[in-house]
Amino acid sequence: MAAKRDVRLTVNGVAYEASVEPRMTLVDMLRGELGLTGTHVGCEHGVCGACTVLMDGRAVRSCIMLAVQADGAEFMTVEGLASEAGELHPIQQAFIEERGLQCGFCTPGFMMTIHELLQETPDPTEEEIKDALGGAICRCTGYESILKSVRSAAKKLQALG
Amino acid sequence: MAFEFPKSLDDLPVSKVKWVGKPVNRVEDPQLVTGKTEFIDNVTLPGMLHCAILHSPHAHARIKSIDMSRAAALPGVVTTLTGEDAERWTRPMYTTPQGWGGYVLATDRVRFVGEPVAAVAATSRYIAEDALELIDVEYEPIDPIVDAFAAAQPDSPKVFEDHDDNIMYQRIFTWGEVEEAFQKADHVYKESFRWNRVGANPLETFGIISEWDIVEDSLTCRGSFQTPSFMAMGRAATFRLPSNKVRFIAQPHGGSFGGKGGGRGTDITLMLSRKAGGRPVKWIEDRMEYLSSGGSQAWDRHYDVSIAVKDDGTVTALRVKLLDDMGATAEGFGATGAVKPMASFTGCYAIPAAEYDLTLVATNKLPVSPYRGMGPPPHNFVLEQMMDIAARDLDLDPAEIRRRNFIPADQFPYIIASGNEYDSGEYEAALDKVLEMAGYEDLRREQEEARAEGRLVGIGVVSTIEPGVFDWNAYTVIGTAGIGIPEGVTVAIDTMGKITARVGFALEGQGQYTVITQLLAEYFGTELEDVRVVHVDNLSAPPNFGPGGSRLGVAITGAVLGAAQRLTEKLTKVAAKMFEVQPEDIELLDGMLRVKKVPESQLSVRNVAAIMLNRSDMLPPDVDPSPQATFAWTAPDRVEPDEQGRVKSYLTAANACHLVMVEIDPGTGKVEILKYYIADDCGTRLNPANVEGMIQGALAQGVGAALLEEYVYDDDGQLLTASFMDYLLPTIHEVPFPEKAALVTPSPFTPLGAKGAGESAIHTTPAAIMCAINDALLPLGVRAKEVPASPNRLWKLIQGASDQ
Amino acid sequence: MKPVSFEYFAPTSVADAVSLLQEHGPEAKLLAGGQSLVPLLNMRLARPTAVIDVNRVEGLDYVREDGDALAIGAMTHQRTVERSELVQRVNPLLHAATRLIGHPQIRNRGTVGGSIAHADPAAEYPAVALALDAEMRIVGPNAERLVPAADFFVTYLTTALEPTEMLTEVRVPALPQGTGWSIQEMTRRHGDFALAGAAVTLTMDGGACSDARIVLFGVGATPLRVQQAEERLVGERVDATLMSEVGREIKTSIDEPLADIHATSEYRRNLAGVLTERALVEALERAA
Ligand SMILES: Cc1cc2nc3c(=O)[nH]c(=O)nc-3n(C[C@H](O)[C@H](O)[C@H](O)COP(=O)(O)OP(=O)(O)OC[C@H]3O[C@@H](n4cnc5c(N)ncnc54)[C@H](O)[C@@H]3O)c2cc1C
Ligand code: FES
Ligand code: FES
Repeated sequence: MAAKRDVRLTVNGVAYEASVEPRMTLVDMLRGELGLTGTHVGCEHGVCGACTVLMDGRAVRSCIMLAVQADGAEFMTVEGLASEAGELHPIQQAFIEERGLQCGFCTPGFMMTIHELLQETPDPTEEEIKDALGGAICRCTGYESILKSVRSAAKKLQALG
Repeated sequence: MAFEFPKSLDDLPVSKVKWVGKPVNRVEDPQLVTGKTEFIDNVTLPGMLHCAILHSPHAHARIKSIDMSRAAALPGVVTTLTGEDAERWTRPMYTTPQGWGGYVLATDRVRFVGEPVAAVAATSRYIAEDALELIDVEYEPIDPIVDAFAAAQPDSPKVFEDHDDNIMYQRIFTWGEVEEAFQKADHVYKESFRWNRVGANPLETFGIISEWDIVEDSLTCRGSFQTPSFMAMGRAATFRLPSNKVRFIAQPHGGSFGGKGGGRGTDITLMLSRKAGGRPVKWIEDRMEYLSSGGSQAWDRHYDVSIAVKDDGTVTALRVKLLDDMGATAEGFGATGAVKPMASFTGCYAIPAAEYDLTLVATNKLPVSPYRGMGPPPHNFVLEQMMDIAARDLDLDPAEIRRRNFIPADQFPYIIASGNEYDSGEYEAALDKVLEMAGYEDLRREQEEARAEGRLVGIGVVSTIEPGVFDWNAYTVIGTAGIGIPEGVTVAIDTMGKITARVGFALEGQGQYTVITQLLAEYFGTELEDVRVVHVDNLSAPPNFGPGGSRLGVAITGAVLGAAQRLTEKLTKVAAKMFEVQPEDIELLDGMLRVKKVPESQLSVRNVAAIMLNRSDMLPPDVDPSPQATFAWTAPDRVEPDEQGRVKSYLTAANACHLVMVEIDPGTGKVEILKYYIADDCGTRLNPANVEGMIQGALAQGVGAALLEEYVYDDDGQLLTASFMDYLLPTIHEVPFPEKAALVTPSPFTPLGAKGAGESAIHTTPAAIMCAINDALLPLGVRAKEVPASPNRLWKLIQGASDQ
Repeated sequence: MKPVSFEYFAPTSVADAVSLLQEHGPEAKLLAGGQSLVPLLNMRLARPTAVIDVNRVEGLDYVREDGDALAIGAMTHQRTVERSELVQRVNPLLHAATRLIGHPQIRNRGTVGGSIAHADPAAEYPAVALALDAEMRIVGPNAERLVPAADFFVTYLTTALEPTEMLTEVRVPALPQGTGWSIQEMTRRHGDFALAGAAVTLTMDGGACSDARIVLFGVGATPLRVQQAEERLVGERVDATLMSEVGREIKTSIDEPLADIHATSEYRRNLAGVLTERALVEALERAA
């Protein structure tokens, strides 16, 4: 077995240090070593999007990155969306109000993807939304309510300025 | 005491309905959107080990030897398991039909690619998977039996040596004067169809943590169980343990759709835990395992169908011959999917006679599992194609032929030829609604114009039934036992007046906890925040089954209303004593227990509950200090089937009418959905947003089944679709967002008039899309008879037409 | 689905990466965006003894104009190319091809060099590289070389790269002003790898075609240039009849494509023809 390596990273503003085997995937480290279990695993081969997190602001699939590659990077996961006081992020509120989820297993990945989208495109068109979400699988909702959630979240965020 | 359930929302004890029937936000969601919900893979127990399972690479082979020594010696591996352990400790798997299975780990033979052969428990999943590579198995391959027709031949090689052939079940059900109807028919139409394997694929696969307490020989399993109590009972039988020593804790899970699977993984982890001295053993099925060896596959069907039709388009008889490829064993209740179509055999139509010639055959493929809809979606697909074939030949509009055959609204409750009873319906109204929404005549004109330009544009109009609220008696014919499926809840009010409902099923996505919350807040006049739903293990829960067969919404509504009524009876006695009147003089309204004739004399539910708990001196002698009640609901009036399998099985019959317009690209064969309209009638909608969610989600699965999803095996029985790169789930780009209308024809048989609505559009969408595709192909004179209608298949059809 | 154990290195220079490749032999793998490699690791289909992560190698993330070409660093993310106004202006075909690669989250990690080095026969970049006469800058233990696309793609997932070499830059000649272009592909779902596709450029001069490039992808072991079809166009007034003839000829002339569960060889041939015709039509519209 290859020697473990130290990884230092920031997740949701908190600095972490972990010692991992090089072969460990990023999502296994986030969930297993750091206890951040809000990010889910649906396929482990990069197709479903459940494991999507933000790395230095970019939506990436944490099942097809190695944990060791995270060294020095800044991450945001679903746990970082709500405020410390528990106030939900507008994207979370929108998902609740528009029924953007059923089982909720895909939801963290979708929300992180949407977070990236709305940072860059505050008022996305339907095509832009579909383009951003096209790589994420939801087996429950049939996507319509997720699309509505994005629109609603965009409005909420714009209202906040 | 017979219970009088409120028949409609007006019968609830409130002056104005506040919660039920409203699209209130779900109580499940705040936890889910913050990533706090405890899915099984989020749970870690002290000393926990990780299991990995070695799966057969062969479709059919004898196992000559298994050597675990190298694997066992790998540092980090704590214990290993093979079929020998399974033989020693378990009974062979329970199957329906009976006698078509082996042990949870292969013993002498493997019968499908993916069959579990051995397992290890190690300190990490990584090490456990390393250990799998050190297991030495010597196989002697046998020719696999892959083709269903060949397998069904009497001289076929056999999947199970101890059976005479590969026929798991064969029977012809005849309902009414079928032969006569065909003889007298003005027209007889025949066609063959193929439905390829599709399946559930919840985004979360199956997962479990098992503990075998080796001191008291008791089991504790936490996992993503769709039906925890049922699984617990199965383990007691498998391991010959007293059932009260088997504790199952269902974690919330990421969808199931009937295909969560998990039976084998459960038993394997339990035995590993036993061998590891009782340490908890976790197994998270990975996606490739799910696709190749989990509860992932369903409905592998070959159909020959004929209908007898009169000149005016009236269908007088339906004959369906089905060869259903069950895969290697009959574990996991996959066979129920071939029987359920009997609950809605003739669809929305008043077809007086029908015949079902059913053969279930074993092959060397993954055993099939249940999947949302449980079998009718392919049946509906073939029935609806036949309706269109008849319409075309008789020069009737597809909408018109359906209209002529609908069961009229004034004939409900209506018993269909195959014996099930439909509770209520307004099929013509639903059709009219859809035609109106779509602007049907204009659409047909649009289609004409498109055709004139040489474009392949088609419209499908399809109406289907969703049988709701299943009962075991639906499956008596293939050997399931029992009548009735109790679904229970305990409702408790505490000293602060807060209400807790305890149920035996965990979150799965349908929003039932929200429905329970709405019902209780309504019944006792509280805010939604005052109600909390918790799930408890099988040993603590009232009798329960969980979601399945579009029944939980109705069943849990019955349970909640029953428990609420029981609890109210207790509260009423206490209030009567306080006001010194008789219990009959007290009524519950808007959360107050009041004297009917003196409404000012009232006490809140909360106060009465507090009195019960804290002032024993004020209690009537026949009331214990416990403001709690339990009720388990099951469908009334269920009996055994008759000699032709006819039975009132599913209590409700929801109806949907879909209209879809598609265009096929003749160059590529790719289908684009241009327009989609739905009118859906599932009776009273307890939470309309929940219902809408079920429709849209099931529609997506229907689109997948019709156009994208397919498990493919090659001639050697190797699965070619073992990843999400090849098993194609629809994405946001492929799923249409239809215009939807709600019709409400309440069920006369259920509490509040709700119908089973969880399976929803998957019953209709594949049929509707295929009808539209065939409408588009009409000018070419070819017909798509295979699902999914992949671009390659459609292109080939179109090609064939132009080659002629 | 967990990778086999391997050693991990994160060199910061090309030289270090290359000497690590030399040291660890053919069982070592470079890791770029990981969007192809890590799924294979998870499935244990790739079983390297050493993974050499080149994400920390400096100076390989750029898109710049270099004479008549775009020079793109191998470690440039596909997303960067997608967002580059320079690419959009100088080479809209490359831009359009980029948007067809998977999904934004894949393109956020996936690199230009990774896609070209991986050489999936259904991938867009290799096809565009061939259509545009791109050149690959390759650094090995002793030398650096420039390999034209025509020589780079050898066969299925195999390129001219030696085990000890690294791709460092892709040089893509600009689309000449007035050249029409198009990339067409058929996928089962939006964003999937193509069942087949065609990348086309078309230069018109005084009503006649002066230059044409037709490259098919997803139909052979490598991207496939169909010179015979190109020759049919050059010197001709390109009209609907000719384009459809070219498409039809492609259906019968190309070598038997691979079959898989989504497409038979026969169907792939057909797609090649249909998509070529559609690409030509679009390219002609765009040609000045
Ligand atoms: C869901 C999904 C959908 C996708 N869809 C598409 C699609 O439609 N079209 C498409 O083209 N691709 C698609 N991809 C693949 C994606 O584009 C990859 O990014 C790309 O193929 C590989 O790039 P990478 O940077 O991720 O390389 P890696 O995965 O890191 O490496 C791939 C291979 O190239 C080698 N390599 C990488 N960089 C170099 C270098 N500089 N020098 C030498 N060798 C090198 C590696 O050793 C490895 O063998 C998809 C991927 C996923 C997960
Ligand atoms: S789990 Fe990472 S994409 Fe599916
Ligand atoms: S809500 Fe269940 S997968 Fe999306």
